[in-house]
Amino acid sequence: MGRYLLRRLNLFIATSLVLIAILFFATRLFPAELNYALSGIALPTSEQQLQIQHDFALDKSTLRQFFAYSAERLSGNFGISVTSQRPVSGELLGVLPASFELAFVAGLLALIVGVPLGVISALSRSKSLQKLIMAVTLTGYSIPVFWLGLLLSLWFGVQLGWLPISGQINLLYQIPKVTGFMLLDTLLFDGTYKWAAFIDALQHIIMPACTLAVLPFTVVVRITRTAMISVMNQTYIRAAEARGLSNTSIILKHALPNALIPLLKHLGLMLGPFASYAIVVEVIFSWPGIGAWLVSGIYQRDYTVIQGGIFAVALVIIFFSILIEVLYTAANPVSRKDMYGTN
Amino acid sequence: MGRTKLYLDDDIPSHGKRIWRLFAAKPQALAGLWGVVLLLLLAMFGDYIAPYAAEYQDQAALLMPPSWSNQGDVSHFLGTDDLGRDIFSRLLHGAQYTFGVAFSVVLTALIVGVVIGSISGMMRGLKSSILGHLLDALLSIPSLLMAILVVAVTGPGLENVFWAVGISLTPQFVRSIHQTVHDELQKEYVTAASLDGANALQIFWYVIMPNVWETVIIQTTLAMSAAILDIAALGFLNLGAQAPMPEWGAMVLQGLDNFLTSPWTVTIPGVAILLSVLSVNLVGDGLRSALAPMRN
Repeated sequence: MGRYLLRRLNLFIATSLVLIAILFFATRLFPAELNYALSGIALPTSEQQLQIQHDFALDKSTLRQFFAYSAERLSGNFGISVTSQRPVSGELLGVLPASFELAFVAGLLALIVGVPLGVISALSRSKSLQKLIMAVTLTGYSIPVFWLGLLLSLWFGVQLGWLPISGQINLLYQIPKVTGFMLLDTLLFDGTYKWAAFIDALQHIIMPACTLAVLPFTVVVRITRTAMISVMNQTYIRAAEARGLSNTSIILKHALPNALIPLLKHLGLMLGPFASYAIVVEVIFSWPGIGAWLVSGIYQRDYTVIQGGIFAVALVIIFFSILIEVLYTAANPVSRKDMYGTN
Repeated sequence: MGRTKLYLDDDIPSHGKRIWRLFAAKPQALAGLWGVVLLLLLAMFGDYIAPYAAEYQDQAALLMPPSWSNQGDVSHFLGTDDLGRDIFSRLLHGAQYTFGVAFSVVLTALIVGVVIGSISGMMRGLKSSILGHLLDALLSIPSLLMAILVVAVTGPGLENVFWAVGISLTPQFVRSIHQTVHDELQKEYVTAASLDGANALQIFWYVIMPNVWETVIIQTTLAMSAAILDIAALGFLNLGAQAPMPEWGAMVLQGLDNFLTSPWTVTIPGVAILLSVLSVNLVGDGLRSALAPMRN
């Protein structure tokens, strides 16, 4: 296992380096001066000019420039944002928690609703129920997320007026930032309107989280269903039945844990599309996360923001997909069999 | 249709025929196939059958509701937008952008992916591993971020969406084909063929490839639905097709200003996107379940 972990760490480093290389070359292709694209300073003084040249080794070979670029980016120097004139790294840390909060709530929602539905549709004998669940998931998988978000906000936000349609919390509430997660911050906040603020934050997250949860939900239902059907046909389930175990204990203790293993693997594969959807959802519901920040960055041709945002999102995805792979291997001894000698 | 059986022995269906029978046994898969064929035809001939030009503005009918509403008129079947442009015609004109561009992107990514994936799948060791890392890095950049990067370099426009979606789809093809070729290469029938003296090229084309095509087909349908959704999402974010273009995602964005008073300008293009992705997914689903018994 130790050797395996080392290999995954190696993979993480190599993949991150390739990612930096892609960004490095894209930066040179931006239709702007290299100094400007690297630092975000439009009119540098001669001192700043020298500093940029020194930091990014602009007078050296391309290879040295690449190393200088990686060193700067990895040490957290992303330059300054053109529009706000503040360091990109600071802004990045400001918007990341909101995105994590939304993604976490949406993912949790998808798992809590999706796994039981998948199990039910696998075990149910009723053909019409199975067909209904399959039809719903296929439709959910095909829905354009921006359109779904718009319809939900029109219906629940404007016509029924039940839920707020934009932002993370009503601006009336002044909540100091502790963790950056609004739901936690309102709970940690010690003031007279603590619970009112928490409920308001909860209301704000319902619609974006439901919109974002549709994609993972459909995938979770389908994968759980397939895995559950194949697990229920295994001989050890029949053995458990023969020993006279109750149906619930067979499903919960013997079948479900094994059915969740393939689900874990698919969750790792789903991270990319999930992030794409999250960006669109953040834009629609004006969620102050990294997606909305990045899209406004591209509208303003804010090259440092684009680099910083793409770097952060892709790094998070690489990290989580490798983490999920490690968890998958840890949970599934069978996959360790062909661990050596292959990639 | 009653048919007299002339021969006593049973007709043994070929591989392709068996798959087709399994596929056609599902009505929803067939419906999806009809939908895809219809969309392909619309992408090719939509310009000719549309009743109005895409930019034609009927000043007498601004924001007219669809024809089934009381204020609607059948001359504008699905209503008009705020400039008096006929939505039905714009949908027909837009099929070539949303569906047609998605189709050509997937085709390009497919060809590139098959070439790179099979070459890398046949290789072993370090070279294959380096390529694997490169692909992992490309795969870890979500398609929308890749599009943002491409747009940052080249500026918005439908051609750039072609490159953005293509760059993000190709690694998926390369990866799945690489994996399948790699797995097939370990199997014993390949060893048997190489013991018979087949060279690498013969093994690749005659021995391995017939078992890879099924993966390729399934991957194609997945990529197709992803491509349509990506192109529409980019159009909606105003990073893809630009304003007067009748691309479906861009139409949703253009209708957004009048969303509250005339929601059909947003809902109808959305339904078009939903139905086209749905029919692609139905075909993909049908194919997957038709191929599943053969693969196990």
